[in-house]
Amino acid sequence: MTTNPTVQAAPPRWAEWLLRLTLKRTDRESVSGDLLEEYRDTVVPARGKAAADAWYLRQVAGFVWRATWLWAVLFSGAFVIRQAVDFFIPTHDFIVRSQVTTYTAIALMAATSFWSAWRSGSVVSGVVVTIAMTLIAAVLSVAGVTLLLAIWHDPATLKAAADSGGIEEAYVMPFILIVPALIVGTIAATIGSVGRRLLIQREHV
Amino acid sequence: MADVLGAFEQAVLLAVVRLREDAYGRAILKEVQKRLERDVAAGAVHATLERLENKGLLASRLGSGTPVRAGRPRRYYRLQPAGIRALNDARAAVDTLWQGLKWPLIKTRAMV
Repeated sequence: MTTNPTVQAAPPRWAEWLLRLTLKRTDRESVSGDLLEEYRDTVVPARGKAAADAWYLRQVAGFVWRATWLWAVLFSGAFVIRQAVDFFIPTHDFIVRSQVTTYTAIALMAATSFWSAWRSGSVVSGVVVTIAMTLIAAVLSVAGVTLLLAIWHDPATLKAAADSGGIEEAYVMPFILIVPALIVGTIAATIGSVGRRLLIQREHV
Repeated sequence: MADVLGAFEQAVLLAVVRLREDAYGRAILKEVQKRLERDVAAGAVHATLERLENKGLLASRLGSGTPVRAGRPRRYYRLQPAGIRALNDARAAVDTLWQGLKWPLIKTRAMV
């Protein structure tokens, strides 16, 4: 007996794991099944395994982007606005500004994680989606700050940037935020996941 | 008045109409790609199906799996009365906009 090699072909396991984390619990099987069917039936026979894997990764990236883009744009927007305020309205007292941006960042991380965990019923989903959101936001933030500096790089703006923590900070900080994203994400995802379970239990009683 | 549909939402709903009992995720994706004559991301179709279902324009049920899907079920979609109304309204709106004009448009001096 021979087996059809395309039915045996499988996309990268980690990509399938990531895909399932971005989906609602009720869509997890059907949507991953749709992608697997297309991968095996159409893409592998037409393009070969390596190109099919690349196609699969692009599809998963699309799902991750759809799960995170809104939060990532808000997050990076807040970061770039803070940088712009520091560049254009110099100050020596950063306490209020720091508090506003810190609480905004925590709120956005928590909201992303809670929403994802609530939707999927999975703590891991909340954490992974929050980290993905923070990474995407970091890239957007770096692009935003670069654009700011490309347009305004007069001596006064550069001095204000240096006084507010330096340009390096504007480029490194967005990536360092992945650490608090992990912590805040875990807490908010646990609340989201447990909250959903309690609600479902209450509805069934 | 029914929901105002975007072009992509219309493409997805019309794919469901065309596919009838076979309207599940992958088949809808392929039908939309065929009609729009471009590559469409599976995530875009899935997000649209979810939105249309939340709006009450579509309903869905889970079917059986197949070996090529590793036994994972298909989710089949069915147009709801609100979906039919929305599609009819969308078509009527386009027809109204085109009323009195010949198609295809030909460039005339008045347009330059």
